[in-house]
Amino acid sequence: MGRLNRHYAIGDEVTPLVKDMTQEAINLFEGSSGESGPSQFTDEETARETLGTEGTVASGRMSLSFSIEMLRRYFGSDVFNHAGTVDLRFLRPVRPGDTITFTGKVIGLDREANGSRVSVEIKAENQRGDTTAVGQGSAVVPNAYLPQDE
Amino acid sequence: MVEADARILLDWDALEVGETFETYEYVLTQEMIDTYRQGVMDPEASFPTISHKVDVKQYNARYRDAGSVNARCAFHCYNPPVPGKKIRVRAWIADKYLRRGKNYIVTEAVSVDEDGRLIDRVITHELKQPTEVGKKWGG
Repeated sequence: MGRLNRHYAIGDEVTPLVKDMTQEAINLFEGSSGESGPSQFTDEETARETLGTEGTVASGRMSLSFSIEMLRRYFGSDVFNHAGTVDLRFLRPVRPGDTITFTGKVIGLDREANGSRVSVEIKAENQRGDTTAVGQGSAVVPNAYLPQDE
Repeated sequence: MVEADARILLDWDALEVGETFETYEYVLTQEMIDTYRQGVMDPEASFPTISHKVDVKQYNARYRDAGSVNARCAFHCYNPPVPGKKIRVRAWIADKYLRRGKNYIVTEAVSVDEDGRLIDRVITHELKQPTEVGKKWGG
């Protein structure tokens, strides 16, 4: 098997990921763990009582999942699924009907014992241009995947 | 007849960093994985464990509070879980802090499957006055 020669440089942009949020998607996400009770994510009345909002919101963990997807596509599942991380801060709610665009840019390359850590700045914006989440992700790319001079 | 809630009412000041919870076990089924993938609209999504919120599950089993809002979440991928395998989760209180007059709790959890494969690690910062966020967000 030949070398894969993945090349990373500071400033590289990650292919954006766009997600259209629906209540059905939120319900599936929440129900996938076997939980079926009403929550601020699935029930408007519970959201009103708990958060004081008029409608439901999506769990921040959905944005976490989308950020992981964006970076898995960028690094490849063979790398990201075994050495990937995402650390996300949630700034504004994501609601059903929102379209969220996730973007990323390489901001760091650091040698580690088992490869090079490639760090990516992550941002999520809704259709109004409001930032809903920011953070960083990274993956340790094995040396075998990198050009020899890196 | 409604059963009384036997959980402890959260006293944020008394909560100790380092407090550990009982190991939580569950079997990750193919149906759970498929439903998660539909929810996140990603047929290759590899970590359906995210939606199980295992880092706060045992906290919520021990304590009752006014609810929470996820303020920050970090996720470390080690090995995608295999359907049908039992997953064991160890969780603990990793930190707590006060910021702008609001109380936060940080929970951390590590998931390992029945064969000893490390699956993932998740660290979550939860704001414990969710209505404060609701006011800021506005309806």
